[in-house]
Amino acid sequence: MRKLIQFKNIVKEFDGQLVLKGINLDIYENEFVTLLGPSGCGKTTLLRILGGFLTPDEGQVIFDNEDITQLPPYKREINTVFQKYALFPHLNVYENVAFGLTIKKEPKDVIQQKVMRMLKLVGLEDYGERKVTEMSGGQQQRVAIARALVNEPMVLLLDEPLGALDLKMRKEMQHELKKIQKEVGITFVFVTHDQEEALTMSDKIVVMKDGGIQQIGSPTDIYNEPVNEYVAKFIGESNIIDGVMVKDEEVIFEDKHFACLDKGFAPNEKVDVVIRPEDLDIVPKENGKLKGIVKSVLFKGVHYETIVETRAGTSITVQMRVSEDKPVVNTEANEMMSANDFYLDISDIDELTDSDIIARANAQAWDAKTEDWISINKVEYNIEPANGTYPVTFSTQAGTMISANMIVRDVNRIVSKEYQEEIFAVNFFQKVDEIKESMALDTDLKTWANASAWSLEDDSAVEITEVVYDFDPENIEPGVYDVTFKTEGYEYMVDTTDRYEVGDEVGLLFGPEDIHIMKKGGY
Amino acid sequence: MKQFRSMAYPYVFWINVMIVVPMLMIVMYAFTQKGNDVVTFRLTLDNFIYFFSDPIFVSVLKNSLVIAVVTTVICIFLGYPMAYLISQASDRWKVILVLLITVPMWINMLVRTYAWVGILQENGIINNLLGLMGIGLVKLLNTDFAVILGMVYNFIPFMILQIYTALSKMDPSYLEAASDLGANKVESFLRITLPLSLPGVLSGITLVFLPAVSSFFIPKLLGGGQYVLIGNVIESQFLISGNWNFGSAISLIMAVIIMISMYITKKVDREGQSKGGVR
Repeated sequence: MRKLIQFKNIVKEFDGQLVLKGINLDIYENEFVTLLGPSGCGKTTLLRILGGFLTPDEGQVIFDNEDITQLPPYKREINTVFQKYALFPHLNVYENVAFGLTIKKEPKDVIQQKVMRMLKLVGLEDYGERKVTEMSGGQQQRVAIARALVNEPMVLLLDEPLGALDLKMRKEMQHELKKIQKEVGITFVFVTHDQEEALTMSDKIVVMKDGGIQQIGSPTDIYNEPVNEYVAKFIGESNIIDGVMVKDEEVIFEDKHFACLDKGFAPNEKVDVVIRPEDLDIVPKENGKLKGIVKSVLFKGVHYETIVETRAGTSITVQMRVSEDKPVVNTEANEMMSANDFYLDISDIDELTDSDIIARANAQAWDAKTEDWISINKVEYNIEPANGTYPVTFSTQAGTMISANMIVRDVNRIVSKEYQEEIFAVNFFQKVDEIKESMALDTDLKTWANASAWSLEDDSAVEITEVVYDFDPENIEPGVYDVTFKTEGYEYMVDTTDRYEVGDEVGLLFGPEDIHIMKKGGY
Repeated sequence: MKQFRSMAYPYVFWINVMIVVPMLMIVMYAFTQKGNDVVTFRLTLDNFIYFFSDPIFVSVLKNSLVIAVVTTVICIFLGYPMAYLISQASDRWKVILVLLITVPMWINMLVRTYAWVGILQENGIINNLLGLMGIGLVKLLNTDFAVILGMVYNFIPFMILQIYTALSKMDPSYLEAASDLGANKVESFLRITLPLSLPGVLSGITLVFLPAVSSFFIPKLLGGGQYVLIGNVIESQFLISGNWNFGSAISLIMAVIIMISMYITKKVDREGQSKGGVR
């Protein structure tokens, strides 16, 4: 196949912002090429440079062995299907399609034949006299394609042409476009942010991000062998697990050795292991290569998206003491006040400030009538750097007072060697009303328990993904309850046709060909 | 919606008292004879017969229409390029240019027309300058030229603003598409910009032609005492001769002519929507 278009080190800047960072890309004859990426990745800019609507700041566009970088659009053998079609509203369908040929001053009967043939190709042969403004989105789309193709360009550019259509229409047009491309046999350059669209239609996909190209390849290459985590995630949902490449065709993850087909990594190189959800099978526990518990099941129309946890994350359990204490009432000043006892880590004492104490004790004062907040202007306490219980008194200007206990205990934290992370939380006191009124209980529980987790490698925060408790927040009674905070463990997304129940113990099965190895930090 | 309906009552009242009733009165006067009182009116077509049987009135009417058409055509040919330039200018310049066009309209039209008298008269600026260059006295005031100049000057902002609005509403992607399909700048303009701005031109025509055909003070000031257009005839029938019936009849004839011209414009506009320049 012949190279038709070459982008050579294309750089484009808008208002000092680098939109394209030196793009090098070859497009061959008769290829269906898709530029794929999220909005703002530069894909449309690149297309507009090819169409001639923008000039790059640096670099060259070579078309059919000719430098066309500075050539205006009307001199290029390229036609475009615009995002919103840009059909001329004052012309009917026939006139729209005939526009390019009329400009070229072709004989009337030739124009007639070509336009009719093109309208037939897109299935609109009876619509020539229609106003374009009276047509549906899908029909307008077809007119736009016909209007571009009738000029027999060597390349057709399509700028997210299916974005404005509904799902059913989009699917239909995807097939239609592919069919048209096969029939006319020219190069299509297609821009989209929809990875499914890219996968179904393209011969070649160019995955872009932040003005650069991440990967170029066939849909199967890109899907099965993404070069990095970004591409893997963008191209479809995927399981990405930390692993170590022991030697060629052997990888360790979750402390187990697995055969794979990848080679060429350094011995014991750390890698990302990708396994697609549809490549995993759920089997009885004893037959699986990995064992786990079903965590959630989501019906996706054709299949169930089942999450299997093979290993729990790091977790910590604290006690929540729930009381029904009522606020203190100061009838003279017409004020009310409340505060909780709270636990302190011994390491916290050094840096303890009044506002910390107020926050941790959840101390509040308010006007009994208007419920306006009243500032707490005095915090009195006496604390020593040793375990024990220390009283603290809060008071307002008007003399309303409440006492609470600060309970100093040893560090309550759990270290996970396996995940190289640490999780921390303290016991806490809470009132029935506060729990009943909580709008986002998981988040509030995290705040009350001061729960946090971080990585031991670089101190970065690790998200607490799960908060487990066994009380009913609506009808909670005073008492002591356990609250457990968990970080994410190893989870696998599996597409299954069978329905499993949450809590089922299952096994996961996959073959060497289902394992794809990517370099770490490849983006 | 219902509770808002009552808010329209003052407007309905206004329309009836200030527009509908006077219109009906014009019709009534036009079809009756002078000297009627409220109880006895006699219907007659005499006023119309008088108008069309007198060649002077007919030629005045013809003259008025010619002047108005010439004014409108000049406004199109001067106003379109101006509007196009504004629409192509940068955002900052757009504001300045539109302001420059609207600012003269803040001053009373009569005052501005008087200014032209000063410029055009025999010892005015232009003749003084020409005199300095050794060119003899040129009669500028009291000519067709002066009247048309005054009308173009007064009415061209309406044309420019209408066309400019139409041009700036146009989606720039149409031009990209035209360029993509092989049209150079001139072809894009002729086949896309021009037909798509036609509605603006047509409403500009309406806004220029109507005041031009019925204006009476511009011909009076710039055309001199003898210069008579149909507007002056109507004015003098009401204010000088006191023949309200005949004045009303002429007004009615004008109204009919204007209605016909508006109908034609609308029709052209509608056809322009479906069939444009490319054929």
